[in-house]
Amino acid sequence: MKAFTITPTRARPRTLKPWLFGVIAGVLFVAAEALLGIYPPSAYAFCLACHVRDLVNTAWNALFGSALETTLIAKRALLLTSPGVLLGAFATAALYRERRRQPLERPILYFLAGLTVMTVGIVIFGCPTRIVLRAGYGEVYGIAALGGMLAGIFCGTLLLRLRNRGA
Amino acid sequence: MTEAWWLSLGFLGIGVLIGFLAQRARMCFVAGFRDYLLVRDTELLLGLFSFLATVWLATSLAYALGLLRQGMPEYGELEVRTSVAGQAWSRVRLANLRDLRLLGTAEQAVPLASLANRFLYASLAGGWLIGLVSVLAGGCVLRQHVLAVQGSRGAWLYLAGFYAAVPLYYLLLARLLTWVYQ
Repeated sequence: MKAFTITPTRARPRTLKPWLFGVIAGVLFVAAEALLGIYPPSAYAFCLACHVRDLVNTAWNALFGSALETTLIAKRALLLTSPGVLLGAFATAALYRERRRQPLERPILYFLAGLTVMTVGIVIFGCPTRIVLRAGYGEVYGIAALGGMLAGIFCGTLLLRLRNRGA
Repeated sequence: MTEAWWLSLGFLGIGVLIGFLAQRARMCFVAGFRDYLLVRDTELLLGLFSFLATVWLATSLAYALGLLRQGMPEYGELEVRTSVAGQAWSRVRLANLRDLRLLGTAEQAVPLASLANRFLYASLAGGWLIGLVSVLAGGCVLRQHVLAVQGSRGAWLYLAGFYAAVPLYYLLLARLLTWVYQ
């Protein structure tokens, strides 16, 4: 099958098997929720969309005195998950010398994609990670969102194939 | 150090650890199915399914041992709800908990079932849109964080849109939606 113009998933061979990542992350999220007592929203140990939403709204409320919605846990702590991921991935990429300057193509598409994913994420409460997390918790809406996401990925790959055939 | 500090540091620590692991495994929750469909590569898909299975087993165990509190995974009680989605969800949640304290008036109690259905359809459609857009952008949100610090400027723009969407939603779109629905 011919190559597709998508972001390469691996520049170098991975040193950690994804299935092991899944096991570690799954145990970590559930254990963190139980041990740290992350409660009022359940299944909330990790979500990039919701945590960013809470972080930005907390900062906005502090700056402008508004009352934008946050979860209850965000009133007890700062949800620094997204900066933490950036920090951890930066340190790791620097350590293993995997930082490359890549050419910028289709900047508008990237910006609009981020905008769309966050807007939808606010409405249905979840980035892809938390959608899977909620589905693992057995929540009906999480399972529905996961099913929808798989269908969306299917349609997206169809689009990629069509575009590649046209080019 | 107070409890808030420890909790914030806990979230930061979860983030750093997941950033490390995701960079090493090149993990993406969207690329697994995409790679399977395009080139029949199942490695990342296996990561997604092992995550799902681990969470399922771990939560089952934790619920059985009484370590986790069972609740709906969205908002806490007594929440400031300004968005349409938040309002809809609060009613769904209350219906599930059979807790009618916050349910103010009688006419609010009527559309519970329809609102639950509406949120189900919103989850389906929203999940579909997230999957589609994530494939076109080349990765899920976690992957975009990792790509950004690896030097992809497109991923930085993705994150800029990601953060900018929050005030845009709450200051513009939520008010528009509330105005449309009322």
